[in-house]
Amino acid sequence: MTNSIGEIRDADVLFVIGSNTSEAHPIIAMEMKRAVKRGATLIVADPRAVWMTTIAEKHLQLKPGTDVWLLNAMAHVIIEEGLTDDAFIAENTEGFDAVRERVKSYTPEEAEKVTGIAADDIRFAARKYATTEKAGIYYTLGITEHTHGTDNVYALANLVLMTGHLGKPSSGMNPLRGQNNVQGANDAGATPVFYPGYQHVTDPEAQAKYEAAWGVELSPEPGLDLNVMMKEVGKSIFGLFVMGEDILLSEPNVKKLEEGMNRCEFLVLQDAFMNETARFADVIFPASVFAEKEGVFTNSERRVQRIRKAVEPPGQARADWEILTSLANACGADWSYSGADEIYDEIAKHAPSFAGISHARIDSEVHRGKTGIQWPCPTPEHPGTVYLHENGVMRGKGLFSAVDYRPSNELPDEEYGLFLSTGRTLYHYNCATQTRRESGLDEKQPENFIEIHPRDAKKRGISTDDRVEVSTRRGAVEVRAIVSRQVRPGCTWMPLHFAESRANLLTNDAGDAVTNTAEYKVCAAEVKRIAAKDSETPRFPGTYYSVTGPN
Amino acid sequence: MIQETQIRINGEKHSFRPGETILDVAGRAGVEIPTLCHDPRLKPAGACRTCLVEVEGQRKLLPACATPATTDMAVVSESERVDRHRKTLLALYATDHPSNREASERGAPDELLDMIENYRAPTDWGAMASVRANRHDDRNPYIHFEPDTCILCARCTRYCDEVEAVSAITLAGRGSETTISTVDGLSLLDTSCEMCGGCIDVCPTGAMGEKMPLTRGDKPERELEKVRSTCNFCGVGCQVDLNVDREADDGAGRIVKVTSPPTGTTTNDGNLCVKGRFAYDFVHHPDRLKVPLVRGADGEFYETSWEDALQKAAAGLQGVSERHGKNGLGFVSSSRCTVEENYLVQKLSRAVFGTNNVHQCAAT
Repeated sequence: MTNSIGEIRDADVLFVIGSNTSEAHPIIAMEMKRAVKRGATLIVADPRAVWMTTIAEKHLQLKPGTDVWLLNAMAHVIIEEGLTDDAFIAENTEGFDAVRERVKSYTPEEAEKVTGIAADDIRFAARKYATTEKAGIYYTLGITEHTHGTDNVYALANLVLMTGHLGKPSSGMNPLRGQNNVQGANDAGATPVFYPGYQHVTDPEAQAKYEAAWGVELSPEPGLDLNVMMKEVGKSIFGLFVMGEDILLSEPNVKKLEEGMNRCEFLVLQDAFMNETARFADVIFPASVFAEKEGVFTNSERRVQRIRKAVEPPGQARADWEILTSLANACGADWSYSGADEIYDEIAKHAPSFAGISHARIDSEVHRGKTGIQWPCPTPEHPGTVYLHENGVMRGKGLFSAVDYRPSNELPDEEYGLFLSTGRTLYHYNCATQTRRESGLDEKQPENFIEIHPRDAKKRGISTDDRVEVSTRRGAVEVRAIVSRQVRPGCTWMPLHFAESRANLLTNDAGDAVTNTAEYKVCAAEVKRIAAKDSETPRFPGTYYSVTGPN
Repeated sequence: MIQETQIRINGEKHSFRPGETILDVAGRAGVEIPTLCHDPRLKPAGACRTCLVEVEGQRKLLPACATPATTDMAVVSESERVDRHRKTLLALYATDHPSNREASERGAPDELLDMIENYRAPTDWGAMASVRANRHDDRNPYIHFEPDTCILCARCTRYCDEVEAVSAITLAGRGSETTISTVDGLSLLDTSCEMCGGCIDVCPTGAMGEKMPLTRGDKPERELEKVRSTCNFCGVGCQVDLNVDREADDGAGRIVKVTSPPTGTTTNDGNLCVKGRFAYDFVHHPDRLKVPLVRGADGEFYETSWEDALQKAAAGLQGVSERHGKNGLGFVSSSRCTVEENYLVQKLSRAVFGTNNVHQCAAT
């Protein structure tokens, strides 16, 4: 996020796209609700009528995967009606002319044909966003989990730059991070192209710095990203170390991955629970959960916050950092860390963005009434950074990127006639190794389901609670049907959490052109009725709202 | 420019901004005014009457929480009259409220009992049985309601309406039978409730409480140690207080419940969601891995020592590296683990095995 969570309540326009905020980020949703109660205008763009649409001024219910059309059409309106911030564009950006040319053909009327959103609604959103000072964009994986995810992000960034909604409170470009420490894992260098603090592995200076720090030679060759790595398992990758993830539940098109895993020669797993991936493991280390160790997580707003040891790990389980240290030493290294604080100091020493941060500071300081320190924080005296780009765009000039619409990799056809999108629900969390062990959550939402529009359900003779088979070119699973107007006609939606009916047997592993992030949000599927309602079914298998509204 | 004006509280001048209440100014100035129905996240209700103060020129006492500060207003928060009012009010509250802490504090601390003690309110005005109805058959797993300790301050129903905005609970019934209920008295499971537990967080008396610790017969909150940490679910980074029974599980400690830090001190502003507040049982789940495992020649897993597991893991990874080259290995790190642990995984991959094939799990 360029801006902070606490700024949301003061925003006047919230443009939320590809985010089921009240289920995936409930506390950020509370801030949005507060802003709306205060009088802010909420505009939600999403193929599903998610809960936030109930308090939105406008719901732009676009067809899945047509985001670039919507966003380019908004840019078209902003330029055509002279609503751009020309001073900001001149001073802080480059490449605007290319975007101006590119979006000329993206008229709201044409966009209406592709996206299914009324042209006037696109105009409304564009005007409202462009003419309001405190207007922020909020998005999550509904934007990024596409083969054109990077294009979607560029198209959003174009809107931010042409209206100058950057470097100011309650505005900006705000991806809401999905997991507790996605931000921190990237910050720490757990990526194939960056050392800690986003220092590129191909940069000779960065390489030299870390060679000196670690006392070894390092490779300047970028590694494989996760999507490619998974496709290479059994082809060029023959050994895996996996910490705290169930790749056989969460990766797309897992059937293909399973085939590769059969040719994998050695797998080390480090986790708190047995999981699907364990079937292929050679060694399993019993690890700790957050309440059993010291360390930091970095949240969506770049706030570095502490976790603290509250209880002892069970049996012989150890903190992950201790296990990693022992493993490195068993492999011939000579690491000696007395605690997580010392590891953090090593990170801070070589990464300027975090140089001023330490456990001791986080433990003792309060900034602007809140605990935790927001990076960039270059010195021990620096109070942290609430919103980015305050003193001009950080890279010097904000770069416009002209993008064109590209259809999703796999679209519905005669054989597989429906769109399938996947995502998270309020009551479970990703692989659900934790939440499905909670009796309460399991009672609220015990099994997988698929939302299907009444029109499509009728055509297939499906009623709510029927057992149905959902199939794609990659696999099939059995789930319960919920006939719901929450999804568009022609679209279905399914959560990813359930190991016994894995949504990722269905999903498409085609990746984004730049990041290789897989297209979890769009693939072609078919739904077939198997059997009638069984008797013992809970009242609201989805969320209350998916059953009751919007009808 | 923000217009600055002044108000006098107990003779001292304090500046205020337009829109601030007497209570807001007093809070900033460190003047203590007791409240029960007030919460900074909610619109003032003026319902509990504990914050009444004297205002010069006003015949009646006024609620500090709902009275906007105005220029040259003179407020007295401590006087014989205010004290008499507080004692009377608290004594009335006490008549249908459990008087001993064992009964009223099985879960969270009871602020009303604290207040009765602090202001030395009489507790001998006779006792009435509370007649508030309960929903005994509510099969929801997380939220318990104890009508006897409820004082109808409506913080819970207002939170449900104003902050979580699902309006699952409401004040129902009339007169002395008024209670907190749902539509048709349904279980929370069958309503729009999203189990955020905000009703528990805002309740001043513990009438709304966590059901699971009560069912398990865990120690009351006063006897637990709070450990401040960060929620391990989504990317908001809510701060949580893990309430630990230090002596449980032979001294290993057990998380009895999770509470939210005070409003206004952290990113989550005192709020949590269903997972943050209630999903901590996995920590102590019997399915946890407790011993290192290695796969035997017969394909089964066997328990082993740490030393053996570490050596087998090292030999296995090194073997792949020798047979297939450095880039024959891949390291999958975890966005569920700490920054420090992610740092060590990439250091292991890069510095020990010489490959940049390392990525955190949220990347696809």
